[in-house]
Amino acid sequence: MSNLLNLTVPQIVTGIKNMDFSAEEYVSQVLAKIRKVDLEINAYITLNERALEAAASIDKRIRMGENVGSLAGVSVGIKDNICTKGLKTTCASKMLEDYVPPYDATVVERLKNNDAILIGKLNLDEFAMGSTTEYSVFGPTHNPWNIEYVAGGSSGGSAASVAALECAVSLGSDTGGSIRCPASFCSVVGLKPTYGRVSRFGLVSYANSLEQIGPIGKNVSDVVMVMNAIAGSDEKDHTTGPLGAEPKYSLKSGQNLRVGLIKKVTEEADPDVSKCIYDAMELFANSGCKCEEISLASSLQYALSSYYTIAMAEASSNLSRYDNVRYGFDMSPDGYEWNTYFMKVRSNFGEEVKRRIIVGSYVLSSAYYGKYYLKAQKVRSMLIEEFKLLFKKFDVLVSPTMPILPFKIGEKISDPLKIYQIDVNTVVANLTGMPAISVPAGFSNGLPIGLQLMADILQEQKLFDAAALFEEKLHPPAGSLK
Amino acid sequence: MIDTDLIKHLGFLCRLELTDSEISKYISQIEEILAYLDTLDSLTLSHVEPVRSETSLAVLRKDNAKAFEGDVSEVAKNKKDGFIKGPRMA
Repeated sequence: MSNLLNLTVPQIVTGIKNMDFSAEEYVSQVLAKIRKVDLEINAYITLNERALEAAASIDKRIRMGENVGSLAGVSVGIKDNICTKGLKTTCASKMLEDYVPPYDATVVERLKNNDAILIGKLNLDEFAMGSTTEYSVFGPTHNPWNIEYVAGGSSGGSAASVAALECAVSLGSDTGGSIRCPASFCSVVGLKPTYGRVSRFGLVSYANSLEQIGPIGKNVSDVVMVMNAIAGSDEKDHTTGPLGAEPKYSLKSGQNLRVGLIKKVTEEADPDVSKCIYDAMELFANSGCKCEEISLASSLQYALSSYYTIAMAEASSNLSRYDNVRYGFDMSPDGYEWNTYFMKVRSNFGEEVKRRIIVGSYVLSSAYYGKYYLKAQKVRSMLIEEFKLLFKKFDVLVSPTMPILPFKIGEKISDPLKIYQIDVNTVVANLTGMPAISVPAGFSNGLPIGLQLMADILQEQKLFDAAALFEEKLHPPAGSLK
Repeated sequence: MIDTDLIKHLGFLCRLELTDSEISKYISQIEEILAYLDTLDSLTLSHVEPVRSETSLAVLRKDNAKAFEGDVSEVAKNKKDGFIKGPRMA
């Protein structure tokens, strides 16, 4: 049997439906790959022991001539902060180490309805708080391109598993760049959809007003296929809007696009990253796009402060629910008084989570509310207005996804503010709600560089058009070294 | 001014038991983080309305309750006589 791991999602589905190979054969190859490389990569926290069984049942339905879904047999990994019925969902935290959800997140339900095969649950920074996947109670995920380097985060397992061919596609969540950062560091495609485009029901909450679930894949077509399965209204998440026509995205490379380059952040990036993004602009210009460099008003430089204020405030509020009574790890409450018990069990949150809870409660305290939170929400309004105007003139705006190249594991861990600052280009999309995608743009010394494209609210198709054009012209290498 | 007492107080408000070494590490780190967030002070924002909520996309459905199918008490670790056990009130 030939190697099936490099196939695109459309190729996998066609191959299985035409019985060129079976879903069981394909999933066996995926599991063998995980056994071979995941001790080094550490992308998976839990494997789905019923994956082969699910694949066999799809093969059986195909042999019986039954219809199968749009993702029939496709191997999917799920970030471990997205609930999967009967399969542990730990958030990479001691607090939820044994938590087995009694329900599926809407996105998981939709993947299953489309006959995708859940391979397992993927590593992340604890409760998705981090940009390197080093803050996981299960240890860091390693970058498949060089295992001494971070994979990015917080969806590090989701990006590394796709790059290392340990699943075809994955789901991550993006609160301030957590899909796009690891997608950039691992040289895969990652999309943060418009706020409200994909249901958050079953996503363990960190910062509700900012976060979205989104797909990661080896190429734009795979991401489009997953979006078509998961996007749309959900009565269990009121931010997804009224029930109605569901979005159908297509893969076509864009023509005559108006592309704006955000000059300041591109100039300020690492020189190799910066050069790569200017090369990308040239490629757009040579492909018939109307390109222009733009300078933004000053509000952009306040985006990061605004973002961390809001994210930490929402985190401190959201994480107050962990009292270890209704769910949690095994620690008997016998002999404890209420406050003592809560303080003891909650000390099992990791270092970064505790830091954010403390800062979050500080910025929300009545004495400082006006100084931090209220101002942060005003900066958010300014950014929304500013980008609304820009998108009258441009279809997409481009910048580096990350201002720097991947760095070594452990290099920045002792300086939390330094890690926060690498999110400088990604947080804007979360503050404004607009969609953004990271696509592989090149390498420097064997380390990946990602190009970020942003579009107006609900204009995912424009992102796909621009990303597909870029991908077609650039021909990035498929799959990783592993 | 971020000091031991403030971190301890915030720790209590958030119900987090912190060790002495955590407290001393958090003092300098949190001071640095707050100094960074202070950059918001240099903006004039009196004319700007804050974002209130994600109203542009939010349309509420009818508030009809639906029962959860399944047993949510399954996931509780400490149970007795059909009840979930918690710590005693003070």
